[in-house]
Formats: sequence, structure tokens, C-alpha cells
Amino acid sequence: MNRINKKLQEDGKLLSIYFTAGYPNLDDTVKIIGELEKHGVDMIEIGLPFSDPLADGPTIQESSTAALKNGMTTEILFEQLKDIRKTISIPLIIMGYFNPVLQYGVEAFCKKCMEIGIDGLILPDLPFDVYQEEYESIFKKYGLLNTFLITPQTSDERIFQIDGASEGFIYMVSSASTTGAKQGFGAEQQDYFKRIASLHLKNPQIVGFGISNSETFVQATEKAKGAIIGSAFIKHLTQNGVDSIANFIKSIRC
Amino acid sequence: MKLKVCGMKYNPGEVAALQPDYLGFIFWEKSPRSFDGEIPKLPPGIKKVGVFVNASLDEVVAKIKEYHLQAVQLHGSESPEFCKELKQYNFQEPIQIIKVFSIKDDFNFDELKPYESVCDYYLFDTKGKLPGGNGYTFDWKVLKGYPSIKPYFLSGGIGLEEIESLREFMKRPEAKYCHTIDVNSRFELEPGLKNIQKLKEFKKGLMKDEINMPSSLGERPVRGPYHANEKGYYGEFGGAFIPEMLYPNTEELRQNYVRIMEEPSFKQEFDQLLKDYVGRPTPLYFADRLSEKYGAKIYLKREDLCHTGAHKVNNTIGQILMAKKLGKNRIIAETGAGQHGVATATVCALMGIECVVYMGKIDIARQAPNVARMKMLGAEVRPALSGSRTLKDATNEAIRDWINNPVDTHYIIGSVVGPHPYPDMVARFQSVISEEIKWQLKEKEGRENPDYVVACVGGGSNAAGAYYHYLDNGDVGIIAVEAAGKGIDSGESAATSALGKVGIIHGSKTLLMQTQDGQITEPYSISAGLDYPGVGPMHAHLFRSGRGEFISITDDEAMTAGLEVAKLEGIIPAIETSHAFAIFDHKKFKKDDIVVINLSGRGDKDLDTYIDYFGL
Ligand SMILES: Cc1ncc(COP(=O)(O)O)c(C=O)c1O
Repeated sequence: MNRINKKLQEDGKLLSIYFTAGYPNLDDTVKIIGELEKHGVDMIEIGLPFSDPLADGPTIQESSTAALKNGMTTEILFEQLKDIRKTISIPLIIMGYFNPVLQYGVEAFCKKCMEIGIDGLILPDLPFDVYQEEYESIFKKYGLLNTFLITPQTSDERIFQIDGASEGFIYMVSSASTTGAKQGFGAEQQDYFKRIASLHLKNPQIVGFGISNSETFVQATEKAKGAIIGSAFIKHLTQNGVDSIANFIKSIRC
Repeated sequence: MKLKVCGMKYNPGEVAALQPDYLGFIFWEKSPRSFDGEIPKLPPGIKKVGVFVNASLDEVVAKIKEYHLQAVQLHGSESPEFCKELKQYNFQEPIQIIKVFSIKDDFNFDELKPYESVCDYYLFDTKGKLPGGNGYTFDWKVLKGYPSIKPYFLSGGIGLEEIESLREFMKRPEAKYCHTIDVNSRFELEPGLKNIQKLKEFKKGLMKDEINMPSSLGERPVRGPYHANEKGYYGEFGGAFIPEMLYPNTEELRQNYVRIMEEPSFKQEFDQLLKDYVGRPTPLYFADRLSEKYGAKIYLKREDLCHTGAHKVNNTIGQILMAKKLGKNRIIAETGAGQHGVATATVCALMGIECVVYMGKIDIARQAPNVARMKMLGAEVRPALSGSRTLKDATNEAIRDWINNPVDTHYIIGSVVGPHPYPDMVARFQSVISEEIKWQLKEKEGRENPDYVVACVGGGSNAAGAYYHYLDNGDVGIIAVEAAGKGIDSGESAATSALGKVGIIHGSKTLLMQTQDGQITEPYSISAGLDYPGVGPMHAHLFRSGRGEFISITDDEAMTAGLEVAKLEGIIPAIETSHAFAIFDHKKFKKDDIVVINLSGRGDKDLDTYIDYFGL
């Protein structure tokens, strides 16, 4: 069974952390992953930086630009991760935009992920129907789970379609926004969380976008299985460096 | 093209079964077809028209109520005031008014003026002994110079024998607003008894593709091999590679854009604004001196004479009307040089809609006059601070804004780029360019098809418009001109077809300039409007399939050509357009080749660059 599925079966709420590979320094990737696992994070999204991250807010944009300036490439990331499964056992997901994957070659990329021990991919700009028509068989061949996003504007009909095609979790975008935009969740988000819960989907949901502290983590996971923190973690890295990751995780899981 | 069958008396049910668009019932006692029976129940979609000759208002109103008429056709000397009263009468359903004008050898179009605001359609009939039903046609050439954009019915003695000449007529510019063909006496066994067989044949002939109403927006979606398919693909290029957050926005547009563009009221408003506000049709000008110098017949399509100085406004007019139809109250746009930003700010001012334009920080600094224009027009100019801080980043920022404002905001993209349906929608709005070239060239050269159409390509919107109606016609050569910057191999270029690889940019699968690793690179050109790392999917397909010939032109070649056009023709082109004028060293033409160059914009905005370059 895929590590993601196994993790989703565990009791309790899951904390997943996103970071941009190659930031703050080119060679921080392995160290950050190690620290995150050590301090009890359940799952990690490794961001493959892209020059034009159009679903991201300023924090992730800046970290991506910096990572590319530091020299990060797809090849280098794979090289950094090649021995990662010797030390790390939690699920690892690569999150990025579709174009770098397309240039690497979708099949070559998936094969490399399998060899390294990557469990899944999140590619927000690879549309659901294109995935199904052209790439699903390749992902499956290499045992990779693909995760789709839903938003407050996604129709129930489409949510059921996405649920039907998913085999891990559904990435529930908390509000109509780019990453890192909102401060806290209002009544509108709460309603949305309840609405999704009432659909009784077959895949558990993990909430992302706008989660920055223990309060928003608790709100987001009241109904959902877990939550993903990205921008707030990157801000913490920018301000405190990679050595104080423990403090950040403690502040969420207090 | 719609069909009206008039003079119903003995067999309206049988005629209705043929599904014409209108059935005419004559309420004039002196006519042998005067109607006083009962109208059978008609299939949906057929409008009942009552035909009157100088009847009183009370009579007309009574008949409308009795027979549930949807339209009245006024054949006498009814005054504009009469039409107005009728129009304002409080019927359950609004009534359409068709005012008839009879034509012999000549017609004074001034007669139409008092009726412009009080009726919905005109009908042109043959002037004869009787008010209608004379049985012979008038010379349709009289309609040349039809000054209005009100749709009209063509009537008077039309029979099966006229199919061919109708087909010819439909290709002419004056047929643009011909809405319906009206037939009567030539399809009868006796007055009031219609010949069903003949009508059937006529309808079939009329519905053939060729006899379609030409309109800026096309009567039905064009689905040739070089047009977008339903999923927005041009060959392998196009589609909608967008994050889920954008799905509802683009989906709303995708589901509605064709339907809205085909609504008569939309077409009419679009055409009206293009005419009165933009100043269309733009001239097709024979460039005598340029032709002599380069040994070909060179025509210039004068998009530089559009309001705001470039073709960009054709698209922004279309999209602002689209935004209104979709109930949006906020507009966002991206801009590089500021041309599209100005065109967007302009239409937002026109409609009184809030406007935010994203522009790279670096472009804001180098395009100060256009920034000032946008501000004068009431738009807010927001700097894009991310990435390389130029056009591609401004586009990213606009997309992010749209993600954050999914309900009330419409994003007016400035070229045939972005996710489906944008490339197709923008191409359709710009297609007015080639639609006009067709009839203008026919007038000047007796043929619709030039040997070549030439246009510069940034994202590709002016080119898409200039090629549109020629895409599927292999007799017309398509030449696309890209910016080579300081040279293809210099590392400072924007020649996407030469340097690009297949990838995804701004939601579209197309050719784009990128690193081996799939990071999008920053292009360079002296012309800000060609400084885009991608190209629209239509053009990627034209390149890959070999349908288009792609030529890249350096900064120096373009600047020299721009100066030459100024000296030879008295026209200072935009630097984007100057690239298109520089092809003559790369492409040789025959002496009698007709070459149409799309003069996409004027050079006022580029004066500083020309001054610096030539030390003027
Ligand atoms: C005058 C002119 N021509 C051409 C272009 C290039 O755009 P497109 O390729 O979409 O026509 C621009 C863009 O700003 C322009 O201003």
C-alpha cells in the first residue's frame, strides 16, 4: 500500500508541510525533510520551483525565484533526494507546475519518482480531464497518487467526479485565493468546510491555503482529515533559518 | 440567413411545417391575399408577422391582440411617430416593427433616418403599381452604401431563379446587415396558395453554407482545421491548463461565449461600437510607392486608424460587452507596452466599469505616456513586482487577481493567448479585420483573396484577425513575422517559433521560450508588444503544420523598415508593425502578387524609441 494511504488510515489529524526545494539554500532540501519528520510532521510536499507560479501568493513566488537563482533544477532535486528513503519514512509528495514535468518527460519523471520513493504528485495546472485521458496510466504504472484540488467554487457534481477519480486524498483549497492570502477563517469558510463534510466523499480531505498557526490548523481540521501549511512555514524559514523548524512545528501542534 | 414567407392564406399550416423564421399575414383588404381566417397553431420558433398598409393604430393593435402577432410590417406611409406609438404600446410581449421602403432604380437613404430609433428592421421591396407583391426584383446594387447597421429584410419578387444572384449578393459588404429573405408571389400556385415544393427547394438553397450572413462575429462557429475545436485545441496546441481555482471562471466563459457572440443584440451593439466609436471599417490602402519599390501590389490594412491607435480595441470592445452580458462589474487586464492596457481602460471608461491594469514594474518605467493615459481614463495601474517584472509577470498577476476574485471580475486578455476559450474568442473579435479585407479587396481588385497576408506576431491577435477568414483557403499565403531582437542566436530575441519548444504558458499548451528545465525565459525585442515568450496556440499550429511561413526580423531591420514606410507612404508605423514591413529582404514576391500587410498600429507611442535609435 502507498505510504499516503497508510498514513490516511491513522487516527488523528494530519499535519502536512510544504516547502520550496532549493530555499533558503540550494542544499537545504534533505535537512529540512529530516527536521520535519523528526518533529512529528505527517507528510511533506516538496515544491519543485517554477518561474511562473500563477496559483501562488508572494511568499511562495519569492521562495521559488530565490530557489531558481540558487540553481535548483529538476535534475538536482532528484539527485538530492536519491537516498532519502534510507532515513525518511513519512509520505513524500512532489508539488509543482506541469511545465517542468512536461520538459523532463512525464514518464521519465514518474519513473524517477518511483525509484526515489516519492508517493504522489500535486500538479495544480494539469487539468483533471487531460490527466485522465493522457497520463493516468503512467502515474499508475509507477505507483504514484495524483491529488486534485477543489475550491469553494467547485460544483458538487465536479467534486463527485474528482472524488471518483482520486485514490488518496482531496486537496481542499480553503478559499478563492492564491496561496498564503487569507488571515483566519470566517463564516464563509466554515460553511464550506461543513458543506464538503456533508458530501461524505470516499477520499479524506486535506485543507490547504491560508493555514498559518495552531488556531487555523484546528479550524481547518475540525471536519477534514488534515491540513497543509506552506507560506507560513516558508516565512518562518526566511526569518529563522532551518535550525528552528522544531519551534515552528511545536507552535502548530501545541 | 433567415426566411420569411409572406401572403399566407390557404395553406399556412403546410408552409409552417417547412420551419421558415417568419410567416406573413396580410391585413389589407385590397390584396388578393388578405387574411381573415384562423391561424393554426404554429411550431415554436416561427414568428407571426402582420402586414398592414396605412391602417389605424387601433386596427393594428386589435390584430396584434387577436392573432398574437410578434411583428408588424408597415407597408404604407406610416410615420415615425406612428411607429413610435406602436412601439411604446403596452403589449404583453414586445412587438417588433418592420418598416418597408420601396425601391426602383434609386433610393435616398436619408429616408431611413427618422425611423432609425423607432423600428427594429427595415424591409426593402420593389417599387411597383402595388404596395408589395409586384413579382419582380429591384436592382440590389442600390443598397451599396447602406449607411445603417439595422438589420433588414430583402424582398420583392424573389424566386427560385434568384438563388445564384442572392449568393453573389451575400458576399457583398452591403449584405452584412441583410437579416432575412422575404418571398411571396413567386412561390404560389395561385394568390395565397403556396407551392410547398418550390419553397422547400428555395430554403435548401438558402441554407447552403455559402449563402450565410456575413457578420463580424460569424453566423456559426467556424471549425476548420486551423480553427479551435470545441476543447480549444488547434492541432496539438491550446487547451486549458489551469489550476482548479480558475476552473469556474473559464468554464463560465467557455459555456457562454459562442452563444453570446451570436445573439443579434450583441452583434448589433458590437458592430455599432466598431463603426461609431472605433471608426471601422478601417481603409484598405494601396501603397503605391512601396509597391513600386518592392515589385508587388502592396495593400495596407489600416488598423493604425482605429481609436487608440491599434487593433487592440477590436478585442476590448468585444470583451467589455461580453463582461456586461455575464454580469461582471470589475475588469482586470495585463499590459506590456501599455497598448492593450489603454484599449481596456478606454472601454471601461466608455462603460463606466472599474478597471485594474497589471503592468510590470520595469515596463511602467519605460512606457510612461501610456501609464498616464490609463490613469486619465480612470484605470488603476498596479505594478507587477514578481519574476522579471515585465509582460509575462503582469499576466501572472492578472491571473492571480482573477483567482482571488472569481465572481464579479472579468479578465480581458490582450491577445490570442491564455486558456481556452480566450484564443478563440479574441480571434473571433479580431476577425473583423479579414472580413473587411475580403470585401475591400473585391471592390479594388475584383477578388476577395490576396496572394499573401502578412502580420507581425507578439501573442498573435492582429495576425489572427488578418488571417481568420483565409485560414482554410490554401490559395492565400500566410506570413507571420516575429521579432528576432538582436538576432536569433544572440540570447536576446523573441522569435518564439525559432527558439520555442512545446510547453505550457498562461494556461495554454503552445510554443514558448524556456530553459531545458522548463523555466520560462525572458524574451527581448525593441518592440514591447512583441516581447512575449510564447505565441498563441493558433500560430504554433500554423507553424508546426507548415500552413504559415514564419520570418524573424531583427531590431535593426524593423527600425529601418519603419523609417522607410514613413518616408515612402507618410505613415509612421508602430515598431511592432515595422517588423512586418521588413520582410522584403527575406521574401520575394512576383510583380502581380497581391500582398496585404496588416498595419496593426501607429507609431506615436514609439516616438521616443525612434528618436533614440535614429538620433532624430
Ligand atoms: C501595434 C501593435 N501591433 C502588434 C502587437 C502585438 O500583439 P498581437 O500579436 O497580439 O497582435 C501589439 C501589442 O501591443 C501592438 O501594440
